[in-house]
Amino acid sequence: MELRNIEMAARGGGEDCKKEDKLEFRVLHVPLPSEREASIALGSLAPDREPRKGGITKELSALGNVLSVRWTADEARILRVSVGSFLDNLALVLETMEQFGPSVPL
Amino acid sequence: MTVVIGFEGSANKIGVGIVRDGEVLANPRRTYITPPGQGFLPSETSKHHRGVILTVLREALQQAALKPADIDCVAYTKGPGMGAPLVTVAIVARTVAQLWRKPLLGVNHCIGHIEMGRLITHANNPTVLYVSGGNTQVIAYSEKRYRIFGETIDIAVGNCLDRFARCSVQISNDPSPGYNIEQMAKKGSQYVELPYTVKGMDVSFSGILSYIEEVAHKMLGSGQCTAEDLCFSLQETLFAMLVEITERAMAHCSSQEVLIVGGVGCNLRLQEMMRIMCMERGAKVFATDERFCVDNGAMIAQAGWEMFRAGQLTDLADSWITQRYRTDEVEVTWRD
Repeated sequence: MELRNIEMAARGGGEDCKKEDKLEFRVLHVPLPSEREASIALGSLAPDREPRKGGITKELSALGNVLSVRWTADEARILRVSVGSFLDNLALVLETMEQFGPSVPL
Repeated sequence: MTVVIGFEGSANKIGVGIVRDGEVLANPRRTYITPPGQGFLPSETSKHHRGVILTVLREALQQAALKPADIDCVAYTKGPGMGAPLVTVAIVARTVAQLWRKPLLGVNHCIGHIEMGRLITHANNPTVLYVSGGNTQVIAYSEKRYRIFGETIDIAVGNCLDRFARCSVQISNDPSPGYNIEQMAKKGSQYVELPYTVKGMDVSFSGILSYIEEVAHKMLGSGQCTAEDLCFSLQETLFAMLVEITERAMAHCSSQEVLIVGGVGCNLRLQEMMRIMCMERGAKVFATDERFCVDNGAMIAQAGWEMFRAGQLTDLADSWITQRYRTDEVEVTWRD
Protein backbone atom coordinates (compact mmCIF):
# COMPACT_ATOMS: atom_id res chain seq x y z
CA MET A 1 0.00 0.00 0.00
CA GLU A 2 1.72 3.20 -1.16
CA LEU A 3 1.22 5.87 1.50
CA ARG A 4 2.64 8.48 -0.87
CA ASN A 5 -0.24 7.87 -3.30
CA ILE A 6 -2.77 8.45 -0.52
CA GLU A 7 -1.18 11.77 0.45
CA MET A 8 -1.12 12.97 -3.15
CA ALA A 9 -4.76 12.03 -3.58
CA ALA A 10 -5.63 14.04 -0.46
CA ARG A 11 -3.88 17.14 -1.72
CA GLY A 12 -4.85 17.08 -5.37
CA GLY A 13 -7.65 14.67 -6.23
CA GLY A 14 -11.35 14.38 -5.51
CA GLU A 15 -13.81 17.14 -4.74
CA ASP A 16 -11.74 19.62 -2.80
CA CYS A 17 -11.11 23.12 -1.60
CA LYS A 18 -14.52 24.75 -1.83
CA LYS A 19 -14.50 27.93 0.19
CA GLU A 20 -18.17 28.61 0.92
CA ASP A 21 -18.98 30.47 4.14
CA LYS A 22 -15.50 29.72 5.56
CA LEU A 23 -15.99 25.92 5.38
CA GLU A 24 -13.26 23.76 3.91
CA PHE A 25 -14.09 20.38 2.37
CA ARG A 26 -11.72 17.52 1.71
CA VAL A 27 -12.63 14.13 0.39
CA LEU A 28 -10.16 11.30 0.44
CA HIS A 29 -10.68 7.96 -1.28
CA VAL A 30 -8.37 5.18 -0.14
CA PRO A 31 -8.35 2.00 -2.26
CA LEU A 32 -7.59 -1.09 -0.15
CA PRO A 33 -6.65 -4.56 -1.37
CA SER A 34 -10.11 -6.01 -0.65
CA GLU A 35 -13.63 -5.21 0.50
CA ARG A 36 -13.01 -6.98 3.83
CA GLU A 37 -9.96 -4.84 4.50
CA ALA A 38 -11.86 -1.66 3.71
CA SER A 39 -14.57 -2.77 6.12
CA ILE A 40 -11.98 -3.55 8.82
CA ALA A 41 -10.30 -0.16 8.32
CA LEU A 42 -13.67 1.53 8.68
CA GLY A 43 -14.42 -0.45 11.85
CA SER A 44 -11.10 0.56 13.39
CA LEU A 45 -11.07 4.24 12.42
CA ALA A 46 -14.73 5.29 12.73
CA PRO A 47 -15.54 4.86 16.45
CA ASP A 48 -13.40 7.63 18.01
CA ARG A 49 -14.71 11.19 18.00
CA GLU A 50 -12.56 14.09 16.88
CA PRO A 51 -10.61 15.31 19.94
CA ARG A 52 -11.40 18.95 19.16
CA LYS A 53 -14.89 19.96 20.29
CA GLY A 54 -15.79 22.31 17.46
CA GLY A 55 -14.59 23.44 14.09
CA ILE A 56 -14.16 20.02 12.50
CA THR A 57 -16.29 17.03 11.48
CA LYS A 58 -15.15 13.85 9.83
CA GLU A 59 -17.32 11.22 8.11
CA LEU A 60 -16.02 7.79 7.18
CA SER A 61 -17.65 5.29 4.85
CA ALA A 62 -16.71 2.23 2.83
CA LEU A 63 -18.00 1.19 -0.57
CA GLY A 64 -16.53 -1.97 -2.02
CA ASN A 65 -12.79 -1.86 -1.41
CA VAL A 66 -12.66 1.93 -1.10
CA LEU A 67 -12.57 3.74 2.25
CA SER A 68 -13.83 7.33 1.94
CA VAL A 69 -13.33 10.20 4.35
CA ARG A 70 -15.08 13.54 4.16
CA TRP A 71 -13.98 16.47 6.33
CA THR A 72 -15.69 19.78 7.06
CA ALA A 73 -13.61 22.38 8.87
CA ASP A 74 -13.75 26.04 9.78
CA GLU A 75 -10.06 26.66 9.22
CA ALA A 76 -7.31 25.10 7.15
CA ARG A 77 -5.02 24.53 10.14
CA ILE A 78 -7.68 22.52 12.00
CA LEU A 79 -8.22 20.49 8.86
CA ARG A 80 -4.49 19.86 8.51
CA VAL A 81 -4.17 18.51 12.06
CA SER A 82 -7.12 16.17 11.59
CA VAL A 83 -5.94 14.89 8.21
CA GLY A 84 -2.44 14.36 9.59
CA SER A 85 -3.68 12.31 12.55
CA PHE A 86 -6.01 10.35 10.30
CA LEU A 87 -3.17 9.39 7.94
CA ASP A 88 -1.01 8.25 10.89
CA ASN A 89 -3.86 6.11 12.19
CA LEU A 90 -4.64 4.75 8.73
CA ALA A 91 -0.99 3.78 8.26
CA LEU A 92 -1.14 1.93 11.58
CA VAL A 93 -4.27 0.02 10.50
CA LEU A 94 -2.64 -0.94 7.19
CA GLU A 95 0.54 -2.08 8.91
CA THR A 96 -1.44 -4.12 11.44
CA MET A 97 -3.43 -5.80 8.67
CA GLU A 98 -0.22 -6.52 6.79
CA GLN A 99 1.54 -8.08 9.77
CA PHE A 100 -1.40 -9.87 11.44
CA GLY A 101 -3.83 -10.44 8.57
CA PRO A 102 -5.07 -13.85 7.47
CA SER A 103 -2.33 -14.29 4.87
CA VAL A 104 0.44 -14.15 7.54
CA PRO A 105 1.15 -17.50 9.24
CA LEU A 106 1.63 -17.01 12.98
CA MET B 1 -10.25 -22.36 29.28
CA THR B 2 -10.47 -18.65 28.49
CA VAL B 3 -7.60 -16.70 26.93
CA VAL B 4 -7.73 -12.91 26.78
CA ILE B 5 -5.23 -10.52 25.20
CA GLY B 6 -5.07 -6.98 26.67
CA PHE B 7 -3.73 -3.77 25.15
CA GLU B 8 -2.68 -0.85 27.38
CA GLY B 9 -1.23 2.53 26.39
CA SER B 10 -3.10 5.31 28.22
CA ALA B 11 0.10 7.07 29.35
CA ASN B 12 3.76 6.61 28.45
CA LYS B 13 3.82 2.83 28.85
CA ILE B 14 2.67 0.57 26.00
CA GLY B 15 2.02 -3.04 26.97
CA VAL B 16 0.34 -6.13 25.53
CA GLY B 17 -0.50 -8.96 27.93
CA ILE B 18 -2.06 -12.41 27.61
CA VAL B 19 -3.91 -14.08 30.48
CA ARG B 20 -5.35 -17.61 30.62
CA ASP B 21 -7.57 -18.48 33.59
CA GLY B 22 -5.58 -16.48 36.12
CA GLU B 23 -2.17 -17.24 34.63
CA VAL B 24 -0.15 -14.45 33.04
CA LEU B 25 1.35 -16.02 29.90
CA ALA B 26 3.04 -12.89 28.56
CA ASN B 27 3.36 -9.25 29.56
CA PRO B 28 5.87 -7.33 27.39
CA ARG B 29 5.99 -3.54 27.72
CA ARG B 30 7.87 -0.47 26.48
CA THR B 31 8.17 2.93 28.17
CA TYR B 32 8.47 6.29 26.43
CA ILE B 33 11.12 8.10 28.47
CA THR B 34 11.74 11.83 27.99
CA PRO B 35 14.95 13.74 28.83
CA PRO B 36 15.28 15.18 32.39
CA GLY B 37 13.13 18.26 32.86
CA GLN B 38 10.60 17.22 30.21
CA GLY B 39 7.26 15.51 30.55
CA PHE B 40 5.56 13.38 27.89
CA LEU B 41 3.08 15.06 25.53
CA PRO B 42 0.10 13.28 23.91
CA SER B 43 1.18 13.47 20.24
CA GLU B 44 4.76 12.35 20.91
CA THR B 45 3.60 9.58 23.24
CA SER B 46 1.17 8.40 20.60
CA LYS B 47 3.96 8.42 18.01
CA HIS B 48 6.14 6.32 20.33
CA HIS B 49 3.35 3.78 20.81
CA ARG B 50 2.64 3.59 17.06
CA GLY B 51 6.29 2.78 16.48
CA VAL B 52 6.48 -0.18 18.86
CA ILE B 53 3.00 -1.59 19.43
CA LEU B 54 3.10 -4.22 16.68
CA THR B 55 6.51 -5.45 17.87
CA VAL B 56 5.20 -5.73 21.43
CA LEU B 57 2.11 -7.59 20.18
CA ARG B 58 4.29 -10.07 18.31
CA GLU B 59 6.43 -10.54 21.44
CA ALA B 60 3.35 -11.25 23.53
CA LEU B 61 2.13 -13.97 21.16
CA GLN B 62 5.61 -15.50 20.95
CA GLN B 63 6.18 -15.48 24.74
CA ALA B 64 2.78 -17.06 25.32
CA ALA B 65 3.46 -19.51 22.46
CA LEU B 66 -0.03 -18.86 21.13
CA LYS B 67 -1.61 -18.22 17.75
CA PRO B 68 -4.40 -15.67 17.21
CA ALA B 69 -6.86 -18.57 16.90
CA ASP B 70 -6.15 -19.46 20.56
CA ILE B 71 -7.36 -16.06 21.79
CA ASP B 72 -10.97 -15.83 22.99
CA CYS B 73 -11.29 -12.07 23.47
CA VAL B 74 -9.44 -8.84 22.66
CA ALA B 75 -9.44 -6.33 25.53
CA TYR B 76 -8.08 -2.78 25.39
CA THR B 77 -8.10 0.35 27.54
CA LYS B 78 -11.21 2.39 26.82
CA GLY B 79 -10.09 5.07 29.29
CA PRO B 80 -9.28 7.10 31.29
CA GLY B 81 -6.00 8.51 30.02
CA MET B 82 -4.40 10.62 27.31
CA GLY B 83 -6.45 10.86 24.13
CA ALA B 84 -3.98 10.31 21.30
CA PRO B 85 -2.18 7.31 22.88
CA LEU B 86 -5.52 5.72 23.81
CA VAL B 87 -6.67 6.00 20.18
CA THR B 88 -3.46 4.46 18.84
CA VAL B 89 -3.85 1.40 21.03
CA ALA B 90 -7.61 1.08 20.49
CA ILE B 91 -7.10 1.13 16.72
CA VAL B 92 -4.75 -1.85 16.83
CA ALA B 93 -7.05 -3.73 19.21
CA ARG B 94 -10.06 -3.15 16.93
CA THR B 95 -8.08 -4.18 13.86
CA VAL B 96 -6.83 -7.47 15.27
CA ALA B 97 -10.25 -8.22 16.79
CA GLN B 98 -11.77 -7.90 13.31
CA LEU B 99 -8.91 -9.74 11.55
CA TRP B 100 -9.03 -12.65 13.97
CA ARG B 101 -12.84 -12.45 14.26
CA LYS B 102 -12.78 -12.20 18.07
CA PRO B 103 -15.08 -10.25 20.40
CA LEU B 104 -13.86 -6.86 21.67
CA LEU B 105 -13.92 -5.49 25.24
CA GLY B 106 -13.28 -1.91 26.35
CA VAL B 107 -11.78 -1.94 29.85
CA ASN B 108 -11.57 0.78 32.51
CA HIS B 109 -7.87 1.33 33.25
CA CYS B 110 -8.40 1.74 37.01
CA ILE B 111 -10.36 -1.51 37.19
CA GLY B 112 -7.51 -3.17 35.30
CA HIS B 113 -5.18 -2.22 38.16
CA ILE B 114 -7.64 -3.44 40.79
CA GLU B 115 -8.32 -6.80 39.14
CA MET B 116 -4.62 -7.50 38.60
CA GLY B 117 -3.92 -6.56 42.22
CA ARG B 118 -6.66 -8.97 43.39
CA LEU B 119 -5.34 -11.76 41.16
CA ILE B 120 -1.69 -11.48 42.18
CA THR B 121 -2.16 -10.87 45.92
CA HIS B 122 -5.34 -12.93 46.53
CA ALA B 123 -6.59 -10.10 48.76
CA ASN B 124 -10.18 -10.95 49.69
CA ASN B 125 -12.05 -7.65 49.84
CA PRO B 126 -9.49 -4.89 50.42
CA THR B 127 -9.67 -1.14 50.65
CA VAL B 128 -7.78 -0.20 47.49
CA LEU B 129 -5.36 2.69 47.27
CA TYR B 130 -4.89 3.40 43.57
CA VAL B 131 -1.96 5.79 43.10
CA SER B 132 -0.25 6.62 39.82
CA GLY B 133 0.88 9.51 37.66
CA GLY B 134 -2.67 10.02 36.44
CA ASN B 135 -4.90 8.84 39.29
CA THR B 136 -5.21 8.96 43.08
CA GLN B 137 -8.27 7.24 44.50
CA VAL B 138 -9.27 5.24 47.56
CA ILE B 139 -11.71 2.58 46.39
CA ALA B 140 -13.83 -0.07 48.05
CA TYR B 141 -16.14 -2.61 46.44
CA SER B 142 -19.79 -2.42 47.34
CA GLU B 143 -22.86 -3.80 45.58
CA LYS B 144 -21.61 -4.22 42.02
CA ARG B 145 -19.49 -1.04 41.93
CA TYR B 146 -15.98 -0.03 42.81
CA ARG B 147 -16.94 3.02 44.88
CA ILE B 148 -14.59 5.96 45.23
CA PHE B 149 -14.35 6.82 48.92
CA GLY B 150 -11.68 9.47 48.59
CA GLU B 151 -9.58 11.01 45.84
CA THR B 152 -7.40 13.89 44.82
CA ILE B 153 -9.30 17.09 44.20
CA ASP B 154 -6.64 18.30 41.79
CA ILE B 155 -3.57 16.40 40.55
CA ALA B 156 -2.51 12.80 41.12
CA VAL B 157 0.23 12.05 43.64
CA GLY B 158 2.41 10.60 40.86
CA ASN B 159 1.91 13.76 38.85
CA CYS B 160 3.13 15.79 41.84
CA LEU B 161 6.24 13.60 42.08
CA ASP B 162 6.87 13.65 38.30
CA ARG B 163 6.56 17.43 38.07
CA PHE B 164 8.78 17.95 41.11
CA ALA B 165 11.40 15.84 39.31
CA ARG B 166 11.11 18.16 36.30
CA CYS B 167 11.67 21.38 38.24
CA SER B 168 15.05 22.82 39.19
CA VAL B 169 16.20 19.46 40.59
CA GLN B 170 16.09 17.95 37.05
CA ILE B 171 15.86 14.31 38.16
CA SER B 172 16.20 11.68 35.43
CA ASN B 173 13.01 10.08 34.01
CA ASP B 174 14.84 6.77 33.45
CA PRO B 175 13.34 4.32 34.37
CA SER B 176 10.75 6.66 35.93
CA PRO B 177 11.01 9.91 37.90
CA GLY B 178 9.28 8.32 40.91
CA TYR B 179 11.82 5.50 41.13
CA ASN B 180 14.71 7.98 41.14
CA ILE B 181 13.03 10.15 43.77
CA GLU B 182 12.66 7.03 45.94
CA GLN B 183 16.38 6.21 45.65
CA MET B 184 17.40 9.81 46.38
CA ALA B 185 15.02 10.01 49.35
CA LYS B 186 16.93 7.17 51.06
CA LYS B 187 19.93 9.51 51.20
CA GLY B 188 17.99 12.49 52.57
CA SER B 189 18.71 13.50 56.16
CA GLN B 190 16.94 16.82 56.69
CA TYR B 191 13.14 17.08 56.91
CA VAL B 192 11.87 20.20 55.21
CA GLU B 193 8.36 21.07 56.35
CA LEU B 194 5.83 21.11 53.51
CA PRO B 195 2.10 21.88 53.45
CA TYR B 196 -0.06 18.93 54.52
CA THR B 197 -3.38 19.02 52.68
CA VAL B 198 -5.87 16.31 53.57
CA LYS B 199 -9.46 17.46 53.03
CA GLY B 200 -11.72 15.01 54.86
CA MET B 201 -11.78 11.88 52.73
CA ASP B 202 -9.91 13.64 49.91
CA VAL B 203 -6.43 15.04 49.27
CA SER B 204 -4.93 17.95 47.34
CA PHE B 205 -1.44 18.05 45.84
CA SER B 206 -1.16 21.14 43.63
CA GLY B 207 -0.40 23.41 46.58
CA ILE B 208 2.42 21.16 47.79
CA LEU B 209 3.83 21.10 44.28
CA SER B 210 3.94 24.90 43.90
CA TYR B 211 5.41 25.18 47.39
CA ILE B 212 8.19 22.64 46.85
CA GLU B 213 9.05 24.02 43.40
CA GLU B 214 9.64 27.40 45.03
CA VAL B 215 11.51 25.87 47.99
CA ALA B 216 13.71 23.88 45.60
CA HIS B 217 14.62 27.02 43.72
CA LYS B 218 15.44 28.98 46.92
CA MET B 219 16.98 26.38 49.23
CA LEU B 220 19.04 24.47 46.65
CA GLY B 221 20.41 27.77 45.41
CA SER B 222 21.50 28.84 48.91
CA GLY B 223 22.65 25.34 49.87
CA GLN B 224 20.27 25.12 52.85
CA CYS B 225 19.29 21.59 51.84
CA THR B 226 20.05 18.98 49.22
CA ALA B 227 17.84 17.55 46.49
CA GLU B 228 17.88 14.29 48.50
CA ASP B 229 16.43 16.13 51.52
CA LEU B 230 13.60 17.46 49.33
CA CYS B 231 12.88 14.01 47.90
CA PHE B 232 12.74 12.60 51.42
CA SER B 233 10.52 15.40 52.74
CA LEU B 234 8.14 15.21 49.77
CA GLN B 235 7.69 11.44 50.05
CA GLU B 236 7.11 11.58 53.82
CA THR B 237 4.45 14.28 53.43
CA LEU B 238 2.64 12.84 50.40
CA PHE B 239 2.63 9.29 51.70
CA ALA B 240 1.44 10.28 55.19
CA MET B 241 -1.54 11.97 53.53
CA LEU B 242 -2.31 8.84 51.50
CA VAL B 243 -2.06 6.63 54.58
CA GLU B 244 -4.46 8.95 56.43
CA ILE B 245 -7.21 8.85 53.81
CA THR B 246 -6.79 5.11 53.38
CA GLU B 247 -7.17 4.59 57.14
CA ARG B 248 -10.28 6.79 57.12
CA ALA B 249 -11.86 4.64 54.41
CA MET B 250 -10.90 1.45 56.25
CA ALA B 251 -12.62 2.78 59.38
CA HIS B 252 -15.80 3.51 57.38
CA CYS B 253 -15.85 0.06 55.79
CA SER B 254 -14.50 -1.87 58.82
CA SER B 255 -11.90 -3.26 56.45
CA GLN B 256 -8.90 -5.34 57.52
CA GLU B 257 -7.07 -5.33 54.18
CA VAL B 258 -5.33 -2.69 52.07
CA LEU B 259 -4.34 -3.25 48.44
CA ILE B 260 -1.99 -0.71 46.87
CA VAL B 261 -2.08 -0.54 43.05
CA GLY B 262 -0.76 1.85 40.41
CA GLY B 263 2.79 2.93 39.57
CA VAL B 264 3.34 4.84 42.83
CA GLY B 265 2.43 1.59 44.61
CA CYS B 266 5.90 0.28 43.67
CA ASN B 267 7.36 2.67 46.25
CA LEU B 268 8.69 0.66 49.18
CA ARG B 269 8.52 3.60 51.59
CA LEU B 270 4.81 4.01 50.87
CA GLN B 271 4.31 0.29 51.43
CA GLU B 272 6.26 0.51 54.71
CA MET B 273 4.23 3.47 56.01
CA MET B 274 1.00 1.71 55.07
CA ARG B 275 2.20 -1.45 56.82
CA ILE B 276 2.88 0.46 60.05
CA MET B 277 -0.62 1.94 60.04
CA CYS B 278 -2.17 -1.47 59.27
CA MET B 279 -0.22 -3.21 62.02
CA GLU B 280 -1.64 -0.72 64.50
CA ARG B 281 -5.13 -1.73 63.33
CA GLY B 282 -4.43 -5.46 63.01
CA ALA B 283 -4.86 -5.22 59.23
CA LYS B 284 -2.78 -6.49 56.28
CA VAL B 285 -1.17 -4.69 53.34
CA PHE B 286 -1.04 -6.18 49.87
CA ALA B 287 1.10 -4.83 47.06
CA THR B 288 2.55 -6.07 43.77
CA ASP B 289 5.94 -5.57 42.16
CA GLU B 290 6.75 -3.24 39.26
CA ARG B 291 5.66 -5.83 36.65
CA PHE B 292 2.03 -5.29 37.71
CA CYS B 293 2.02 -1.97 39.64
CA VAL B 294 3.16 -0.04 36.63
CA ASP B 295 0.72 0.11 33.68
CA ASN B 296 0.81 -3.17 31.75
CA GLY B 297 -1.20 -5.12 29.19
CA ALA B 298 -1.89 -8.16 31.39
CA MET B 299 -3.95 -6.11 33.86
CA ILE B 300 -6.26 -5.11 31.02
CA ALA B 301 -6.39 -8.73 29.90
CA GLN B 302 -7.25 -9.84 33.45
CA ALA B 303 -10.06 -7.30 33.87
CA GLY B 304 -11.18 -8.28 30.38
CA TRP B 305 -11.13 -11.95 31.42
CA GLU B 306 -13.50 -11.21 34.34
CA MET B 307 -15.79 -9.06 32.20
CA PHE B 308 -15.85 -11.55 29.30
CA ARG B 309 -16.73 -14.47 31.58
CA ALA B 310 -19.53 -12.34 33.07
CA GLY B 311 -20.92 -11.87 29.56
CA GLN B 312 -19.86 -8.29 28.85
CA LEU B 313 -18.83 -7.22 25.33
CA THR B 314 -18.18 -3.98 23.48
CA ASP B 315 -19.70 -3.31 20.06
CA LEU B 316 -17.32 -1.79 17.53
CA ALA B 317 -19.49 1.32 17.26
CA ASP B 318 -19.34 1.76 21.06
CA SER B 319 -15.60 1.13 21.28
CA TRP B 320 -14.62 4.85 21.28
CA ILE B 321 -12.02 5.86 23.80
CA THR B 322 -12.62 8.47 26.48
CA GLN B 323 -10.18 10.57 28.48
CA ARG B 324 -12.51 10.64 31.47
CA TYR B 325 -13.93 7.40 32.79
CA ARG B 326 -14.89 7.15 36.44
CA THR B 327 -14.09 3.89 38.26
CA ASP B 328 -17.65 3.69 39.59
CA GLU B 329 -19.20 3.98 36.10
CA VAL B 330 -18.58 0.30 35.44
CA GLU B 331 -21.03 -2.34 36.60
CA VAL B 332 -18.92 -5.00 38.31
CA THR B 333 -21.09 -7.92 37.26
CA TRP B 334 -18.37 -10.50 37.99
CA ARG B 335 -18.46 -10.02 41.77
CA ASP B 336 -21.23 -10.62 44.29
